[in-house]
Amino acid sequence: MMHRLRWRCCSGLLALASVVASSTPIFEVSLPRGLDFTHRNSPTTQKYLIETMGGGVALLDYNNDGLLDIFLVNSGRLTSPMQTPETFDRHDPQYWNRLYRQNRDGSFTDVTAAAGLSNAGDGNYGIGVAVGDYDNDGYPDLYVTSYGKNVLYHNNGDGTFTDVTAKAGVAGGGWSVSAGFFDYDNDGKLDLFGTRYMEWDTKHSKTCGGEWHTYCPPEEFPATTNILYHNNGDGTFTDVSQRSGIAAKKGRALGVAFADYDDDGFTDIFVANDGMQQYLFHNNGNGTFTERGLEAGAALSEDGRRLSGMGVVFQDYDNDGRPDIIVTELPREIYGVYHNEGNGLFTYRSLEAGLGVLSSGSSGWGVGLEDFDNDGWKDLFVAQGHVLDNVEQIDPSLHYQELPLLAMNQHGRFQKADAGVSSPWAARGAAFGDLNNDGREDVVMTVLGGHPQVLLNRAPKQHWLVVTLRGTASNRDGLGARVRVNGQTRFATTAGSYLSASDKRLHFGLGSSDTAKIEIAWPSGAHQTLNDVHADQFLEVREPERP
Amino acid sequence: MIWAFLCFLVAFQGPSSEALRHIQAGTEAEKKRQFNVAITEFREVTRLEPTVPDGFVRLGQAFLENHDFGGAIPPLKQALKLNPELSAAHQLLGYALLAQGYAAEAVSHLQKTDDKAALGIAQLEAEQLPDAVVNLQAALANRPNDPDLLYYFGRASGLLSKQSIDALLANYPDSARAHQAMAENYYVLRQMPQAEKEFQEAIRLRPDTPRLHLELGLVYAGSSQWSKAEEAFRAETKMQPGNAEAAYQLGNALLQQGMMREARAELKRADTLQPEMPETLYSLGKAASLEGDAASAEKAWMKVIEIEKTSDLAAKAHFALAGLYRKQGKMEDAQREMTEFKKLQDTATRPEGPQKQ
Repeated sequence: MMHRLRWRCCSGLLALASVVASSTPIFEVSLPRGLDFTHRNSPTTQKYLIETMGGGVALLDYNNDGLLDIFLVNSGRLTSPMQTPETFDRHDPQYWNRLYRQNRDGSFTDVTAAAGLSNAGDGNYGIGVAVGDYDNDGYPDLYVTSYGKNVLYHNNGDGTFTDVTAKAGVAGGGWSVSAGFFDYDNDGKLDLFGTRYMEWDTKHSKTCGGEWHTYCPPEEFPATTNILYHNNGDGTFTDVSQRSGIAAKKGRALGVAFADYDDDGFTDIFVANDGMQQYLFHNNGNGTFTERGLEAGAALSEDGRRLSGMGVVFQDYDNDGRPDIIVTELPREIYGVYHNEGNGLFTYRSLEAGLGVLSSGSSGWGVGLEDFDNDGWKDLFVAQGHVLDNVEQIDPSLHYQELPLLAMNQHGRFQKADAGVSSPWAARGAAFGDLNNDGREDVVMTVLGGHPQVLLNRAPKQHWLVVTLRGTASNRDGLGARVRVNGQTRFATTAGSYLSASDKRLHFGLGSSDTAKIEIAWPSGAHQTLNDVHADQFLEVREPERP
Repeated sequence: MIWAFLCFLVAFQGPSSEALRHIQAGTEAEKKRQFNVAITEFREVTRLEPTVPDGFVRLGQAFLENHDFGGAIPPLKQALKLNPELSAAHQLLGYALLAQGYAAEAVSHLQKTDDKAALGIAQLEAEQLPDAVVNLQAALANRPNDPDLLYYFGRASGLLSKQSIDALLANYPDSARAHQAMAENYYVLRQMPQAEKEFQEAIRLRPDTPRLHLELGLVYAGSSQWSKAEEAFRAETKMQPGNAEAAYQLGNALLQQGMMREARAELKRADTLQPEMPETLYSLGKAASLEGDAASAEKAWMKVIEIEKTSDLAAKAHFALAGLYRKQGKMEDAQREMTEFKKLQDTATRPEGPQKQ
């Protein structure tokens, strides 16, 4: 009896603490001047699945002026029904992808046409974006995925881009979704991984749900393969999907993230699959991969159920130095937390991490683990909104438009906090980075058929450090490096989330500490330690030259 | 089948030689499925032997075989006028009347036979639902896998249930039970806000009604509102401390919220109240595992497998054990459990018909 009473008492206090902790919004929703993008997905009565899946966003400093710029992927015009050959009218400016250059005053200027990015290709319904400096020239390049053909834009370094898809040989085909640059063979050149959702086209589309007339679940369409391109170093890529073993596994992939989960020096791939088991492609270090999701314990829920994997983040949430995996999913599932046990194995820890309560009624897409309050623990942000635009009619407890989830990390357990967003959205992509260089991580979240939401971080100030890697033997941006700062670890990547690419700079919250110790394990194998680094600065660290 | 059986029932009694010739011709025609010929032959029998009921029965039967249900009724009625005790005539006339939509009249004839199935169906159509349920249940006892009977029994019992609920709603619309019935209906339809509202009203009117809090908790659990579910399940367990299901649901709600210790205590209580419930054991294993008690988790999950063997829950238990053994570094054991899991999963997902919608 005493125990029961004491528990009730403590649970009340916990609830009170939670309210207090979450009473101050972390973000301020901002509509920066000049950021006038509207995502156009053109929903039809045909319920073409592509309508509800798009909305990529990238945060990159394309002109190296020290300010993050925003690239937004548009989708295109759909007709009901679509005619053959398919055209999405991407030459029409309302369907252009858009690049917004950030100005010194925090406003943005649409530089799409001047940058040579207005031609997205009439046959391409835009979906997502990846960012990486594939030719190590110091300027980030763009890879835009589509239902149709993907496009690789080389950054010329003068504010313009050139479509080099044909020369590079990376057009892909089918329905591409999330993509990412990484260096799987540690040769110093960024390779490219692209996910594909399913074998689907508008001619073979159908509706489901009987009288509800809804989008069909993924199981209705055949699975397909992902694509891995090896960077040849001469501006061309080779499709090594077969040779590497990636194409040996068909799936229904939506999200992708990279990290070296077993600390063998080679970057591994996690693919979030929809309605089936998740894939963990272990990098064998010889140009091949082995899918080990089930054996590693990162493929299913703790009950052995398949997950509707959509977005994914592959970072260390509990500061044990090992990259963990968080996968966003549909309601009635819980966002999957796969904790890295350190021996090549993962355990499902969604309930211990507190996500049972926080996520089981929501649909999650873009996702990030960022230390939003600079307390030294990475917090969780998820862009949310159901896939079905009429879901409330089918199940009133579910919502097409949702608030994003912000959950603060209390030593490995997440607690809901006030994100400062008052309007629900059908959110999809999410990219993370410090837009205003104030040492606090901001978020740009895309909204299906709407305006992007810019969430500027207004958390109380604590110490921080932002590290930019400058690879020499490794790829120039050091993607794949493991960086440890005062007991926190980040894996350098622009990939992860859903359809999106985040700031390449590595942000660390330092709490009350005004100095930091930085330890970097470069993809080349080099190790570097910097002691007594001052807090509150943007620091570029150059990879030491080999002796 | 019924018709062949009836041929034995309708034994003919001393016909004239000419009538006998027509009977044989009619029977041969029936065998060849030439029912119009059979009708002509048996009609001739009734003309030659107008006071013998059996000729009328054969004629009625031929009409039925020809799917002319209206045509079967007059000769069968005539047969019964001549011999009111003729069971075969009652049965055939019952079929004919039922087929023609005269269910109530069919009932009075079928009651004079042993055909519980036809009687039950007729009673269902005549909206004599309690009797229909009784007779269809009796028929199902003899033919438990008959899909037609299963259908009619399901329909009859469903309608009976609806009738009872309709009466409740019509006569006592503001009663707690009426709100409970409405709530359960909404729950089935997955209209959770309405279900919640009705359950809450039922609870307001009669808070001490068993299962009301439990069912409200299930509404919350169904929409993943775990803290509200916990509150409702807790109310049920307080009211019914001996209810194992309530204890299990409370334990599960606590588990979903990551309150491992409390969840485990409640699940243990459920297991004590009603031992060897696989769902309880599975969740108990989960709670134990989350609390780091691997031995208890292993024991609980192995028990699940022992009880369930090949069910979905058994597959889950194999999967959970694989994870447990992996964590302990027992890779061979983990591999074995994973193999069992995959085996059961393959069995469960093997296509048996059209792909799921």
